[in-house]
Amino acid sequence: MAPLGLGGCSIRQFPLFDPAGPISGAELRFTIIDVVVVLCIILPTTVAICLFMWRYRRSRNAAYDATWSRSIPFEIAMWGIPLAIVALLAYFSLQGTFEVNPYEPGALAHRAAGRRALTINVIATDWQWLFVYPKQHIAMVDDLVIPAGRDIRFRLTSTSVVNDFYIPQLIGMIDVMPGMRTKDITRVRRRGTYEGFSADLSGAGFSWMRFPTHVVSAAAFRDFVAKIQAKHGNLTYARFERLARPTINLDEKPAFFPAVAPHLFGRIVAAALHGKTYTTPEHLTAHMAENARHHAPYLEQAVNRH
Amino acid sequence: MSLVHLQGSWTPWLGRLTLSVILYHNGIVDGAFVFAAVTGIVILGVITYYRKWGYLIREWITSLDHKKIGVMYILIGLVMMFRGFIDALMIRTQQMMADGPDSPGHLQALHGYLPPYHFDQIYSSHGTIMILFAVTPILVGLMNLIVPLQIGARDMAFPYLNAVSLWLTAAGAGLVMASLFIGDFSHAGWIGLIPLTELPYSPGVGVDYWMWAIQIGSVGTTLGTVNLIATIVKMRAPGMTWFRMPIFTWTALSTNIIGLTAFPVLGVALALLGCDRYLGTHFYTAGLGGNLMLFTDLFWIWGHPEVYFLVLPAFGIISEIIPTFSERPLFGYITMVAATFAIAGISWSVWLHHFFTMGAGPDVNGFFSVATMLVGIPTGVKVFNWAFTLYRGRLRFDTPMLWAVGAVFLLLVGGLTGMMLAIPPINYTIHNSVFVVAHFHCMVLVVAFSIFGAIAYWFPKVFGFRLDEHNGKRVFACFSLGTFLVFAAMFALGFMGMTRRLDYLADPHWKPLLIVEEIGVFFYCVACYYFFRMLHVSIRDRAKNRVGADAWGTGRSPEWIARSPVPFYNFAATPHFNALDEAAWRRGQGLSDVAPRDYEPIATPKNTIAPPLIGALAFGFGFGMVWRIWWMAGLSLIAIIGVVILRSFATETEHVISAEQIRSMETTGSSVGIVTDHISPPVAEAEAFL
Repeated sequence: MAPLGLGGCSIRQFPLFDPAGPISGAELRFTIIDVVVVLCIILPTTVAICLFMWRYRRSRNAAYDATWSRSIPFEIAMWGIPLAIVALLAYFSLQGTFEVNPYEPGALAHRAAGRRALTINVIATDWQWLFVYPKQHIAMVDDLVIPAGRDIRFRLTSTSVVNDFYIPQLIGMIDVMPGMRTKDITRVRRRGTYEGFSADLSGAGFSWMRFPTHVVSAAAFRDFVAKIQAKHGNLTYARFERLARPTINLDEKPAFFPAVAPHLFGRIVAAALHGKTYTTPEHLTAHMAENARHHAPYLEQAVNRH
Repeated sequence: MSLVHLQGSWTPWLGRLTLSVILYHNGIVDGAFVFAAVTGIVILGVITYYRKWGYLIREWITSLDHKKIGVMYILIGLVMMFRGFIDALMIRTQQMMADGPDSPGHLQALHGYLPPYHFDQIYSSHGTIMILFAVTPILVGLMNLIVPLQIGARDMAFPYLNAVSLWLTAAGAGLVMASLFIGDFSHAGWIGLIPLTELPYSPGVGVDYWMWAIQIGSVGTTLGTVNLIATIVKMRAPGMTWFRMPIFTWTALSTNIIGLTAFPVLGVALALLGCDRYLGTHFYTAGLGGNLMLFTDLFWIWGHPEVYFLVLPAFGIISEIIPTFSERPLFGYITMVAATFAIAGISWSVWLHHFFTMGAGPDVNGFFSVATMLVGIPTGVKVFNWAFTLYRGRLRFDTPMLWAVGAVFLLLVGGLTGMMLAIPPINYTIHNSVFVVAHFHCMVLVVAFSIFGAIAYWFPKVFGFRLDEHNGKRVFACFSLGTFLVFAAMFALGFMGMTRRLDYLADPHWKPLLIVEEIGVFFYCVACYYFFRMLHVSIRDRAKNRVGADAWGTGRSPEWIARSPVPFYNFAATPHFNALDEAAWRRGQGLSDVAPRDYEPIATPKNTIAPPLIGALAFGFGFGMVWRIWWMAGLSLIAIIGVVILRSFATETEHVISAEQIRSMETTGSSVGIVTDHISPPVAEAEAFL
């Protein structure tokens, strides 16, 4: 039944089968290896069980043996075959773990020719994503633009609770935790727009923590940065604190900031370590009855949308 | 009160409780309340009308009989499973309705019919209930029922402790149910995502309900594990050597060793969270020296062994059912025991695979990946053993066998997908996706299938008549079809990038598969209907389905030499065991109908009101703590200690039945099982404590 429902679907609807970079490509490769190896043992077992069930059902009066219950060779094989399969998989698993290691992935061992990595600081708030480009001094909310063919280094933290940063076709999941800094790295071959989102529950606005990721050419990226830098408005720390209050970006509208306070990322991590929290108001969690839109002022659109 | 900052009001007498937390204006909660209230009034009314209060209290609530306690455990578990299923129905319906930006909203929700915090509470309670208050109590109940029978014991090692465990579990379940109508439940997932469960992000009482319900219930479960281990080690009848123990008893032993070592970790993890929420400490906060990963580690150091705590007895059940209906001994008994303990051993060293994505390096993730895959070896051995038990058998597909074989197929799917999740590069793409949800539902459904198989398989042993086969098979068919539709679609959705716990789904392409899942849930509903119908028909036609000691004619393990229904003293004379698969051995030797020559007096535990009282007080303690009504929590705690001390002065805790009484009950064959219409004299005389 389920496969029938999929009849009309294209590969585009299965982002996990349509990787756009070496990291997600490696992930898909190991998925295929693993499934093939495991099926080598599971398929024959399934067939054997079905066969036994059919062949030895009582009404068939097939050969019956009331006592056979042990056999040293069989039992050695029973332990040996799964052991061999697991040993093989363990080899692939270790290889794969190093291949997509978020800190130093083997899949990106060959440096992108002549280009330095682009660093992006990712800050998860309740319930938006802030992307800061420290070299370019720009920032944007719920919208990510990256150049193709270049290594992108992410440094990630959160103001409040844990989220998971995930762009299925570009990069695997990585936890985003308050008071801590995780890192991840990716490189994208193919230009286009890819869905990114939070993969770990973080509260009421979690379902709306989505951001489109635009992969553009190097030139287009330069133009984009210049366009943002020409805008007005400065993301100071005080302004950030307003931005980070519980906010559901219901219409998934992005916001852009041409200038960002220096060391914003470090200040956010330090503030969390010193006990800063962005408290969820109780009326939002209790009684459940009200519509999310009615919770002004917290759930209005993020401040100063463009 | 100044230790932590509480939003909202607090008064000394009522704590955080105000009238507004009870009076909702939410159609769904109101509907559930009316349903629960009407059902409750009808049940209480029926009990009163038929004057069954005395019977209930004398025969059930105050009973220390391991079989009655087992049945009550299973009843609590089935009721909670029904509640958990209603939650699942609501989750699936919300996700189907809330797919795509244009999906309409009803009942004040923006999309679908449940606003985020309500939806979050529903799947949190679904997980908490299904794992801790449905499947766990049912398995504990089955072990309670069957293990003493399989080792030739009269009761558990500590019957009083056994009843305390039951009523603490009931208190925990009661707290979860209370949260439905008074206040709300946790919105942070059944695993208590940290620091979402901390006071700033969960300012209401929901997390407190979750925390205290689990805490109280798991104290009960921990005490139960002590009891079962002691029973298996010390209470075996003569001749029941270690390697004559039925495989279900072996799995019970291994699973309770897991439980005894793992549940205290959960207790500590939740107690420290309690310190954070009540005393303002910083164990798990992001700042001020706290470490949120500490909770995640502690929770899964319990959480993963808990998975095997559930699945090992299920493997035991499958290993009992398949030989019976194959008319062959279990293939590779020693291997099976070894595999069971191998799984139990590995269960402690794999917890980190629940958070491969935390940003650990390849060395850490690599170690836990390989450790996790090791589980596949003994599990594979078990599947091969079952396959070779079928080989050259004479297979009958009665309901228990259908459930057992169904469980094996689900295990194969769960194993394939588990092997995928165990590999970090794959895990990074499907961790926290609905693929994971589908995987662990396959595994928990292995347990559920086994449970339904076990209920059909051992029902005649406990009640003396079989369940209706016709409706039983319909339950199996609908349940299996529902499982296939829901989880095949869910696996596919995982590859389409759908993550867990979404209240609103942005991608409209998921709609067809979400509808397939909803159809699957409909088949589960039909299975529910046939389950109730099966019970009704079975009880109505019980005279037709009466069975002898060996209910299936090919039973192998020792419980099938006891009478059906099992009398309250289990065995008229202490059995002596001669072989592995004693019932099959006796059948082979023509000894099935041998009656003991002499009878000896039997001592059975007297009833006592102390355990249900402790359970009620534990509920009072939990409720007081949730709402921060300090006097209520304090008095309940003192009263619990008082009851325990008072009961410890009771000296005559056993009732002795004379050899003559036993002889007369055995020879007249008078019905002394646990659902008799007329109460047997010794039990009726057993007066309540206090």
